[in-house]
Amino acid sequence: MSLRTTRRQFIQGMALGAASLALPMTGAVQAAQMQAIRYGGSAWLGHYPAWLALKKDYFKEENLDVSWESFGTTSARVSALLSGNIDVAVTAAPAALSVMARGSRHFAIIGVPENFGRVEGLLVRDGIEKLEQLKGKKIGVTFASSAHLLVLNLIEQAGMTPGKDITVLNVPAPELPAAFQSGQIDAAAAWTPQFNAIKAMPGVHVLADDTSFELYKEYGVTPGPDVLVARTAFLKEHPEAVKRFLKAYFRANEQLKFRPETAVGALTELTKLSETDQLEMIKGADWYGAQEQVNLLGPGSKYIDGLQKLAEIMVGFGQIDKAPSVREWVDPTYL
Amino acid sequence: MQDIRRRPDLMLISSVSVIALLLFWEAACRLQWVDPLFLPPPSDVFARLAGMWDEGVLFDHILASARRVMVGFAAATALAIPLGIFLGTSQRARAAFDPILSFLRPLPSMSWIPLSLLWFGITETQKYSIVFMGTFAPALLYVIEATRNIDPLLIRAARNLGTSGPQVMRHVILPASLPQIFSGFKVILGLSWTCVISAELVAAKEGLGFLIMNGKEFFQTDTVVLGMALISVTVLVTDVVFRFVENRVLAWSR
Repeated sequence: MSLRTTRRQFIQGMALGAASLALPMTGAVQAAQMQAIRYGGSAWLGHYPAWLALKKDYFKEENLDVSWESFGTTSARVSALLSGNIDVAVTAAPAALSVMARGSRHFAIIGVPENFGRVEGLLVRDGIEKLEQLKGKKIGVTFASSAHLLVLNLIEQAGMTPGKDITVLNVPAPELPAAFQSGQIDAAAAWTPQFNAIKAMPGVHVLADDTSFELYKEYGVTPGPDVLVARTAFLKEHPEAVKRFLKAYFRANEQLKFRPETAVGALTELTKLSETDQLEMIKGADWYGAQEQVNLLGPGSKYIDGLQKLAEIMVGFGQIDKAPSVREWVDPTYL
Repeated sequence: MQDIRRRPDLMLISSVSVIALLLFWEAACRLQWVDPLFLPPPSDVFARLAGMWDEGVLFDHILASARRVMVGFAAATALAIPLGIFLGTSQRARAAFDPILSFLRPLPSMSWIPLSLLWFGITETQKYSIVFMGTFAPALLYVIEATRNIDPLLIRAARNLGTSGPQVMRHVILPASLPQIFSGFKVILGLSWTCVISAELVAAKEGLGFLIMNGKEFFQTDTVVLGMALISVTVLVTDVVFRFVENRVLAWSR
């Protein structure tokens, strides 16, 4: 081996070495530039878009480093948002309205993921065709949930009084199928997956779902619609990152809407459902794309009027003290 | 506490410290040092108290919890006293029960909720059972210890004087162990209140635990603080009642 060859090899080797060092460093710099966003989720279908965007690398493609924090309850998730432990989350609107009613300006509504009105409702045994037939009977529902609000509203619509004409029992969501099957309750108000489990029992049918809620026909608002919320401080500090987050988020929503079968594999990792059940779950909800957000959240939106009415209904049931001016918490500027 | 009640100067210091704390707390909220959503001012808590009083629902919550505590506590102690005395006086019985007791003792009342829901359904019995299961094992241990701590000389002396087994039980063991049993049951009564809160966190529609849980769900932190304050006040009141009963039943031991 000549000296000349050795020198050339040495130079080539150095160049290769430098390149091999530089490549990961470029990656590290890029990673350092990626905006970190902490998302609060759970296995509930309202979190499917964020999970899908995470698993399909839609966030990464937008140069976002999104981390997933799991929470067992909506109130725990909202509490984490209020205390600054997460930046973005999907929450049931009643929880958001409850915080707004306290005057908190910690977050803003920046999107609406879906409408799950057909997988939440009141289930009864065959033979019961009208709510009036439940007079003197027991309805089991998880208190402080959207299904609870639905039950109270349905009873009121039927001209009856909850607690007086119909007994409304507080049953934890996971216990509802067993309580219904054992006859401890005559009707159960539940949401998916317990809704599907009870519906699958023989001799059971849906007496009313969220589309029977008094605000649905006029405003398209169910008793507990999901809303995408973000911390106000985070919105102010990282407006561009939020825009990129929404771009990736609604890309996932479009996938759920138009190509649900391509989302099943990623989602079963989160929900542990069978592929068939998972596909049914996705198809059970109406997924809103980026284009629909303007109609939902923009000026003069009927949807926001519906949320305002929802707050007033919550005041009527003593769940919140006063109805907040919902529009003040809506910020569609990042769409 | 008794010293404080007897001395007006100490009573004054205690009252001033409470008022100072409330004023500081109110000021901290009004001056926005703390977010009222995270810690509501005392004035909001009092306003909530007045509102619920006017609605007539406050007593329903207190009575529901008090009833659950009393039934669960009474059932646990009624079973713990005879069984504890029996175990305290018999080494063999103690050897038989000890493993079971060691298994039951560390279990928090919350851990019984899933099974109790299956066994008793969504009923009041389910809530009584949570209080019972959370208090029975510690109550039993107090009774066993109280029985074992009796001076054996007293029992031997009674037997030497020709008393029968039941007479020894009635005239020696029971009176000698009762003061310690009562002291232990005061602690158990406090424990019953923590158990009832667990019981009411799930499948309840009234009670102080439900009040706290429901307040939490709707971010009514003033309701949460009110529920907490009511638990403390109710425990203090039941403690006073318990002391009154203790003074009557154990007047001879003073």
